[in-house]
Amino acid sequence: MIRAATDVGGTFTDLVYFSVDGGTQEIVTAKADTTPPDYERGVMDVIAKSGMPLDGIAFLAHGTTVVINALTERKGVTTGLITTEGFRDSLEIARGNRPDYFNLHYVKPAPFVPRRLRREVPGRIGVDGSERAPLDLGGLPEILDDFRAASVSAVAICLLHAYANPEHERAVLERVRELWPDVSVVGSHQITREWREYERTSTAVLSAYVQPVAERYLTRLAGGVRDGGFGGQLYIMQSNCGVDSVDKTKEIPIAMVESGPASGFWGAAELGRLLGDANVLALDIGGTTAKCSLIQDGQVKITSDYWIERSRRSAGYPIMVPVVDLVEIGNGGGSIAWVDDFGKLHVGPQSAGAVPGPAAYGRGGTEATTTDANLALSRINPDYFVGGEVQADMEAVGRTLDGVAERLGVDRVEAARGIVRIANHNMINALKLVSLNRGHDPRDFTLVAFGGGGGMHAVALAAELGIRKVVVPRAAEVFSAWGMLMSDLRRDYFVTRLLTLTDAQAIDELFAEITDGALEQFAGEGIAADRVSFVRYGNLRYENQEHGVEVPLADGPIDPSAVAETFHTAYEREYTYRLDAPVEFVGAHVVAVAEVGKLAPVAPPRTGARVEDARKARRTVDYATEGIHEADVYDGDRLEPGMRFAGPAIVETAGTTIVAHPGNDASVDDYGNVIVRLEEDA
Amino acid sequence: MATAQQSDPITLEIIQSSLEAISDEMFAAMRKTAMSAIIYEVLDMGTAVTDADGELASSGAGIPAFVGVLDKAVKRIIELNDDIRPGDVFATNDPFYGGVTHLNDVVLAMPVFAGGELVAWTANIAHWNDVGGMVPGSISNEAKEVWQEGLRLPAVKLISGGEPIRSVMEIMKANSRLPDFLQGDMWAGIAAARVGERRLVELVGKYGLDTFVTALREFMDYGEQVALRALEDLPKGTFSLAEEQDSGAVYRVTVEITDEEFVVDLRENPDQDDGPNNASRDGSVVAAQMVFMNITGAHESANAGHFRPMRLVTRPGSVFDPNPGAAFATYYEVEIRLYDLIWRCLASHVGDRLPAGSFASICGTFIGGRHPDTGRHFTIVEPQVGGWGASAFADGNSAMFSGFHGDTFNCPAEVAEARYGLYVDRLQLNDAPGGEGEHRGGNGIVVDYRVRADGCFFTCAYTRNKHLPWPQASGREGSPNYAEVIRTDGTVQEFAVVTALEVNEGDIIRLHTGNGGGYGDPARRPRERVAEDVANGLVTLERAREVYGWTP
Repeated sequence: MIRAATDVGGTFTDLVYFSVDGGTQEIVTAKADTTPPDYERGVMDVIAKSGMPLDGIAFLAHGTTVVINALTERKGVTTGLITTEGFRDSLEIARGNRPDYFNLHYVKPAPFVPRRLRREVPGRIGVDGSERAPLDLGGLPEILDDFRAASVSAVAICLLHAYANPEHERAVLERVRELWPDVSVVGSHQITREWREYERTSTAVLSAYVQPVAERYLTRLAGGVRDGGFGGQLYIMQSNCGVDSVDKTKEIPIAMVESGPASGFWGAAELGRLLGDANVLALDIGGTTAKCSLIQDGQVKITSDYWIERSRRSAGYPIMVPVVDLVEIGNGGGSIAWVDDFGKLHVGPQSAGAVPGPAAYGRGGTEATTTDANLALSRINPDYFVGGEVQADMEAVGRTLDGVAERLGVDRVEAARGIVRIANHNMINALKLVSLNRGHDPRDFTLVAFGGGGGMHAVALAAELGIRKVVVPRAAEVFSAWGMLMSDLRRDYFVTRLLTLTDAQAIDELFAEITDGALEQFAGEGIAADRVSFVRYGNLRYENQEHGVEVPLADGPIDPSAVAETFHTAYEREYTYRLDAPVEFVGAHVVAVAEVGKLAPVAPPRTGARVEDARKARRTVDYATEGIHEADVYDGDRLEPGMRFAGPAIVETAGTTIVAHPGNDASVDDYGNVIVRLEEDA
Repeated sequence: MATAQQSDPITLEIIQSSLEAISDEMFAAMRKTAMSAIIYEVLDMGTAVTDADGELASSGAGIPAFVGVLDKAVKRIIELNDDIRPGDVFATNDPFYGGVTHLNDVVLAMPVFAGGELVAWTANIAHWNDVGGMVPGSISNEAKEVWQEGLRLPAVKLISGGEPIRSVMEIMKANSRLPDFLQGDMWAGIAAARVGERRLVELVGKYGLDTFVTALREFMDYGEQVALRALEDLPKGTFSLAEEQDSGAVYRVTVEITDEEFVVDLRENPDQDDGPNNASRDGSVVAAQMVFMNITGAHESANAGHFRPMRLVTRPGSVFDPNPGAAFATYYEVEIRLYDLIWRCLASHVGDRLPAGSFASICGTFIGGRHPDTGRHFTIVEPQVGGWGASAFADGNSAMFSGFHGDTFNCPAEVAEARYGLYVDRLQLNDAPGGEGEHRGGNGIVVDYRVRADGCFFTCAYTRNKHLPWPQASGREGSPNYAEVIRTDGTVQEFAVVTALEVNEGDIIRLHTGNGGGYGDPARRPRERVAEDVANGLVTLERAREVYGWTP
């Protein structure tokens, strides 16, 4: 039986399949070029290249950057917007904020729909969902005529308070469909039921903007694999760590926006469950970025406070869809080291990319990257670079490092150490953002590090944060794909509704409304109620506050005093104090999950080999702040469950390198993962 | 401590960037826990880390106008207190006790000790809704002296060795019309200061005190280098400007730029105002520091070193350096006028570094009364977004908060309707004429608040009402900031400044914020851009013909 995952990335399209035969499990990987704008071609290429028989696959999961690429490259379609009378400029006024606050030449992000294509309809819904003024659709035909004349091919609708009552929005939506059956149209209520009109309008607009592109892509992809003989179920990875059907994804393709990182974090949560580690810091270090997320009590945190292109330099654009709570920084193996006018060393966010790549590739890279520094310090083996496929160009490495060294006024080795330390520091700050800054002590967490660069830096980061256990999963470089194969069919519903916490009946009714709606949706897709399970959260705050704290709610009817206590405790953990003030219920978050069958992990065989058999060399490794040590070098492919060795040590496989520091105790668990334990006072 | 080996440049840099992360963490903690919209949404707040002497080491995101405030507060706290111990938290809000702005802005500061030694301070400032005084919200255009503006906190201890001083807290609460908000906002500030203190202690523990101190010192030296390097590129000379204000007063500034110094001379200015239109000397320093940052280091972190080459000269008893007792409630309009004055003075001399004038008013808007649905009292205290001036490179931004604000967020209409019990009938770009040019000034907004209960009040104090946003290089002036009150019988009153005007059910408060000034001759604006402006309804056909000489 074969379970497979394909993942369309910026540069490469990856495929991983797990072929289970009796007690053994074979992992096969393949890579092909990503093929914009017809991404599905790359997927078919990689399937062909891997030799995977499409007709033998039971389960095919697919992750793609097609949505985020369409957004960031502005490759969507001409979009029109319909709003409540008086609010067509919401999209352009946005929130008026300016993160780059000393820069008087700041440029506000341009709206995705120009003012001439933003039109209004009379009618008002109130805060409580009641109708204050009737909807008037008399002007709609003319609006649509104008849209047609302007070559609009997608229409977004966002009306005030549609989160509380979507009737008006639905009426506009239906009328648009009647008047213009061919146009792609979306109402904000189909995507989100939360308040804040700018964020909701932006969400509807960005969704409409990518909808035709995504729909075409998904149609061709599904057709392509079917024509290739695939008869199983095709699932699409979503940003909320779940998968969903192709049809459902076509309705709201914007929910795929962060599908890439989501699968890795889900994998980390699943691995944590397997290993009995409920609290996990998950870190994914790739070529250009590092991403991290915190998993508490086995749960990934999903929020709808997601923005694209937001940074210290730009306000960005909000998309109110359920996205795994993550921090991403421009710091990966290919990140470029540079020295500013004042002699300060920086690493990233610029990256050498795949071309020319780090200097060591010998493809004309003229700037030192983190990978080059790791090579210079013998942390990466120059003779086993990219699994021996590439002979590292150490001369180029030295030359580029000398450039950095000269500007810093230090020698080559110090420059390399500096690069590694700065890169580590950047990643530590990112890990602190998801842990310490949110009231979690990293020492209570296990660090699960994956992606090509995870094992290289994980132990140093753990030591810095006081973390005592690091897990580098088997096949860490394709761990995200594994995560995809462990995902459930998952939908997150966020609904704003202001209620007092003491009104348990109203809260119960709200949850019933959401769960009934979800079951109805699933039933429509042939998924019976008994396959669906729910997890419920409440968004609570002290009266007069704005920002809520999400707390898990027990099954069954709401018990206001128990919920209040949960809130006080969660609030105090995050913010160090609690208040004797009334508590308000702001909204509900319901997670609906239906299992679609998971990959069962299989233990790699034990041949009776000893750990010495896996040791292939010793070499001198520079541990930056921890000095220079003779490290044992192990062949990762020959490590077997139960083997144990001490740091300083290096584990090499074709896809990744694990650096164990002096004093570390490393072992291989039943599933082939490498576990590194740090000394208490490391 | 292994300091010698640890004082390498990389370690120092790691400490320096940790300081920024700590300021940001304090900022996030405060924002999320505050009770008042003016803190959590408007972000009328700031956080910072100073060294043991109160020199600014690093500030958190938020409002640039608050960046240079906290060091001044900490220095005054050090001056006025002998007994400073671990776990203490001090409070100040009065410009003569280090408070810098007005009584509503309360500074909380906490000393950081390591090994028994004072090594740093964490501090924050936030606008509290009501600190007593003669009107709800404490800000009155009628105040004549500071005692009418609320409770003065003269750099006193609020928490002693970790234990709240109940008597002080009770006095503070008893003096506010909104004691619950005051308490919530106060604890948000205390929590933020404590978070920062904990992180700094960890940082010093990890790298050692000597290394920590070296890192701070070198960070400030670095700031100075950046500023001096930027000064090198600026034209040298003495530049002056006099500008009449809406009040009829004339403000004057002279800026002297040399290779080593940037001197702002404000001595030739009117005597202090009888009302609340005064800026403290420290506040005037902040306005000058902001322009200095804008032209010497827009992307640098502001620290004490960066400001070393800048000097401000004032005359005691003047509007920019008033004597004790003066009222300060609307200091922000005085400071933003000063900021805009220095900006305008330099704009035509410093190449293309500065854009044309913007709507340049906080447009502070205060509406309060009884919430018709909940029966609870509500108060809106909010600045408005408006149009920014165009530059040599681009059209001005539309609907942004003033240069005094930063990552400040407006209040969504959906939230406003729930929270305040008003109807927001519209929120749109201001299509008034003004701001035309080769590059166009950005548009302000028009917002309609319809009042739903009798006996509410409306207060505002907008500037750039008579004297409009200034253009550059033959562009056109922008448009005015003002408010209208439209009564149910159809009568319309217009205001730039009004205090506690009664408004009742059905009345509409319509706010207009200005378009920014234009840059360059409108005749040079590319024709397709004018066509686009017309299609977008931002310029009328008639105006396009008249100003741009454009016909379809």
